Amino acid sequence: MVDAARQPKIDVRAFTEVEKVEGFVGNFKVTLREKAKYVRADRCNGCGACTLACPVEVPNYFEMSLAPRKAAYVPMSQSVPLIYSIDMENCIQCYKCVDACGALEAIDFSQEDKLVEEDIGAIVVATGFSHFDPSVMEEYGYARYPNVITAMEMERLNNSAGPTSGDLIRPSDHESPKTLAFINCVGSRDKRYNPYCSNFCCMYSIKNAVLLKQMNPDVDITIYYMDIRTPSKGYEEFYDRAREMGIHFSQGRPSLITENPETHNLYVHAEDIALGRVTEKEYDMVMLNQAAIPQPDQNHMSSVLNVAQSPGGWFMEYHPKLRPIDSPTDGIFFAGACLGPKDIPSSVAQGSAAAARASRILHSEEWDIEPTVAVVWPDRCSAETKGRACGLCVKACPYGAVKLEGDKAAEIITAKCHGCGGCVAECPEDAITQLHYTDAQILAQMRALLAEKPEEKILAFRCHWCSYGGADLAGTSHFEYTANERGMKVMCSARMDSDFIYEAFRLGAGGVLYSGCHPQDCHYITGQVVGAKRASRLKKTFDRMGMTEGRFRIEWISAAEGDKYARVLNEMQDVLDNIPPEELHEEIERLKPEMSKRLKNFPGVPGVEEAMVYSDKLVKAITSQLEAK
Amino acid sequence: MSHTAGVQTFADEVKAVPGGEHLELCYSCGTCVSKCMIQQKVEPDYNPRRLLRMVMEGMEEAAFTSPTTWLCSECDLCFSACPQEIHISQVIKAVKELAVRAGYTSPLTAVTVNEDLCSGCGICAMVCPYEAPSLYEKEVDGVLDRFSKVDPNKCMGCGTCVAACPLGAIARVGVSNAEITAQFPETPKDAPTMIVFTCDWSLREAEDVALLESYPEDEVNVIHIPCTGRIDPQHALMALDSGVKGVLVCGCKPGECHYKRGTDVASCKIGLLDTMLGQMNLPQKQIRFVQIGTQERGRIREEIDGMLNTLTQSMEAMA
Repeated sequence: MVDAARQPKIDVRAFTEVEKVEGFVGNFKVTLREKAKYVRADRCNGCGACTLACPVEVPNYFEMSLAPRKAAYVPMSQSVPLIYSIDMENCIQCYKCVDACGALEAIDFSQEDKLVEEDIGAIVVATGFSHFDPSVMEEYGYARYPNVITAMEMERLNNSAGPTSGDLIRPSDHESPKTLAFINCVGSRDKRYNPYCSNFCCMYSIKNAVLLKQMNPDVDITIYYMDIRTPSKGYEEFYDRAREMGIHFSQGRPSLITENPETHNLYVHAEDIALGRVTEKEYDMVMLNQAAIPQPDQNHMSSVLNVAQSPGGWFMEYHPKLRPIDSPTDGIFFAGACLGPKDIPSSVAQGSAAAARASRILHSEEWDIEPTVAVVWPDRCSAETKGRACGLCVKACPYGAVKLEGDKAAEIITAKCHGCGGCVAECPEDAITQLHYTDAQILAQMRALLAEKPEEKILAFRCHWCSYGGADLAGTSHFEYTANERGMKVMCSARMDSDFIYEAFRLGAGGVLYSGCHPQDCHYITGQVVGAKRASRLKKTFDRMGMTEGRFRIEWISAAEGDKYARVLNEMQDVLDNIPPEELHEEIERLKPEMSKRLKNFPGVPGVEEAMVYSDKLVKAITSQLEAK
Repeated sequence: MSHTAGVQTFADEVKAVPGGEHLELCYSCGTCVSKCMIQQKVEPDYNPRRLLRMVMEGMEEAAFTSPTTWLCSECDLCFSACPQEIHISQVIKAVKELAVRAGYTSPLTAVTVNEDLCSGCGICAMVCPYEAPSLYEKEVDGVLDRFSKVDPNKCMGCGTCVAACPLGAIARVGVSNAEITAQFPETPKDAPTMIVFTCDWSLREAEDVALLESYPEDEVNVIHIPCTGRIDPQHALMALDSGVKGVLVCGCKPGECHYKRGTDVASCKIGLLDTMLGQMNLPQKQIRFVQIGTQERGRIREEIDGMLNTLTQSMEAMA
C-alpha cells in the first residue's frame, strides 16, 4: 500500500465514495464524494497527538470491537495515507485535539463533504467482501456464549498487533484456552443462509490452527469440517503438515453447541462421520469460520456502475470462463472478492490482470466495438410520436446502453452497445434497427429461403454464439439431418423478432425453429431471457390459433450440441411427415390471414417494402433462370 | 446400484412419495444425526444420514429393516438444522410408507385399545400427533357401534392418547396409570419432598440426567415417562394427595418436542390445573411445568433447587 501511495502516477483517495458513473469506455465521468475528515490532508503529519488527547472511546471496528478507539483516529496503524480523521458521530467537540495539534493547525471542524468530477478512462472495481454474522444461527450460540468467537475475532486475538498483543485468551475469564474447536462452513454451503462454498475458509482455519499450534504446541485443536477443499498448489501439503503437527480433523458438521453455565466451557455435538457415532466433546473455546458475503452496499454499487449481479449478490463477470474479470460494460473491470469469495493469490492475480486490461484502454487512441450495433430512428420512437416512452428497449438491454430521458426519443450509446439486437426486436414501433441485421435484410433472406415449396421447409433461426455453432458442429460431425432445414443467423435469440416468425408462417413455412443459447450461457448475459419470453408468448399464440404441435419449436442448443441440433430438426421433419399434405396446406392457408393481421405494421418499417419487392424480383429471376436450364 | 435410464430406482420411488423429493441434495454432513437424540438415547444404529445413503444406493432391504425407518418420530429438529433444507423426517416417512406397502411392520409396541371400555368418542384420534388412531364401526350384539383402533405402524408410543382417553380404554406398556402411581414414595416425610415427572427426551445431556438421579430418592422422586403428553392431571393430584409437597413436570421446549406436540398438550393441562387449584383456594405453585430446550444445559438443577426452595419457604410460612 505504501509503495502504491508513493507511486507518482497513483492517486489514492481514501474516505471517498463513488456517487455517479456516466459515459462509456475511455470517457467515463465519475463523481466522487470526498468525505469530510475534519483534518486537513495537506497539514496532518500523522503524529497521532490528537488521538492521545481525545477523551472519547468507541468500539474499534478494525479490532472487531474487541478494543476501543478514539473519536480522533486512523482506522489502523498501517493506514495509507496516514491522515487522521475525526469521527463526528461520536465527537463531543471538546477541541482537545485542536490544542494537541498545535501549530500544525491540521484540524478543521468546518470541513464539508466535497463532490469532485473526474475524467476516467477505465474503472477497476475491487470492493471486497463482508462477513456473515453467525449470531442468527442459534445452534452455535454466538453472541450468547462468550467463548464462541468468529474467525475474524480470532484473527485479531492472535495478531501481535492486536488488542491482546497476540495472546489468545478466552473472553469469559481471560484464561488461555487449552482445547479449541474450529467449525468450518458456518453460514456457507447452507441453503438457509448462503448456498455457495466460501472458497478460502478451509485453508484459513488450517492456517489459524497451525499458527496457534506453533506458538503453543500444548494447545489441542479440532477442526470440524464437511469437506476440506485444498485445490491450489501447495494447499494439500499444508493440510498434511497440519495433521502431522497433531491438529485433529473431524468430519461432520456440528449441529449444536451447549455451554456449561458455570465454567463457560463449550460442548460441541457432531456426528463423527468416520465412526457413524455422535460425539459430544468439551472445549475451552470455539471458533466459527463464517461465510464470506457480498458487501452490504453491493446492490447500490451495482446500480451506480450499471453492472449486473450474480445470484447471491456478487458482481457478475462478462463470462465465467473466457472473460472472468471483465464486466459486461466495456471499460469496467473487477478484481478480487467482489466477484465472489476468493483467496489472496487469486485476488492478486485478478488485480494484476485487471490493471493490464485497463491499461490497454488507456493506451489506445481508438477502441474497436462490435459492428452490429443498434441505431434508433428517432421519428418513429413513441417518446417522439406519442410523447410517452414505452421503455421496452431499456428493459431489453443487458448493457444499459439505451438512454431514455423525458420525451426525447431513445438513444443508443454506441460505445456501450454490444449488438445483440434485443431492443430492435422488442421495440413495438419498429423504431430501432441493427446494422447488418436490419429487418429488410433478414426478410430478404427469409423470402429467398422460402421461395419454393415453403410448406416443405423448416426455417431455423439460430443465434450466432450457440445454436449456429451447434448447427455447424452437426455438419462437421456428419450428423445426418433433414435436407429441408433452412438456416438463418442472427446475433442473439433476443433479435428473433415476432414479425420474422409471423412472416415465415405467412410465407407458408412448414416449420420454424427458434433456437439460442441455454439460459445462463447467453453471450449477451440476459439476451436469451428476452428471447425466451418472446418465444413462449409466440408459442401460446400459435397454440390458440390451432397450429399443429411441433411446427413451431423452441430449443436451446449449445455450440457443443451438434447431435441435439440434428435430432431436433429430424423430430420437426417427423412432425411435418405425419401431417397429410392436404391438411398441412389447409392449415397454412387458414392461418395466413391470422399472420397478416399481426404483420399490419411490418411493411412500414424502413426498407422492408423495398426488400419485399426486390426479393420477389430476385426470386423470380432465379427461378426462371433455373427453369430455362 | 442401478443408474440405467428409464428404470424406476428405489430412490425414484422414494422421491415419488410426497416429502421424499429432495433426497439427492444430501451431502452427508451428519448434522441430522447429531441433532437427533435417538442414537444417543435409544438406538446406536439409528442414523438418518445413512438411511438417505441407502435409499440413493438402492439398498431397499437394508432401508426397510433399518431402525432409522421405524424410530423417527418426526420431531423435525433435523429439518430446521439441515443446511440442504431436506425434510429428512418426510423422506424417512416415505421410506416407511414403502416398507409398510412391502409388508414390513414397526418393531415398536403400539398402544392397545380395550374395546370393552372404548366409547368411540374419537378424542384419541384428535390428540394423536401421528394420526395413528381411527374410528371404525362394528356390530356388537346386533347394534352398530364405533370403536377406536390404532395403526401399529403409525403409533410412536408417546402415550398422549392414553392420558387423553376419558374412559381409560387405552394402555401403553410400561406407563399405565397403575405403573406410574406405584412409583410414588410410600411414606413421605415431613420435609420438602417432590416428584419429578420427566420425559425421556427433554434432558439432552447425560450429565443432566445423572444430576436428576443424584438427588436423594426420598427428597426428589423421579418418574420417567415417554412424553409429558402422557401426564394426566390426576397423576399430579394423586401425588399431592399421597403426601409429597410438590410436583415438577419436565418436558421439551415448544417446537422441540420429540413427539411433535406432546409438550403443548401437557402445557395446557398443567396450566389449567394450576389455575383450578387457585380457584379452589388451594395453594398454587405446587405443581409446575418446565420446558427445557436442547441448549439449556444445567437448567434442570436450577429448576429443582428453585422448587425445593419454594416448598421449604411455603412450609415454613404455614408452620
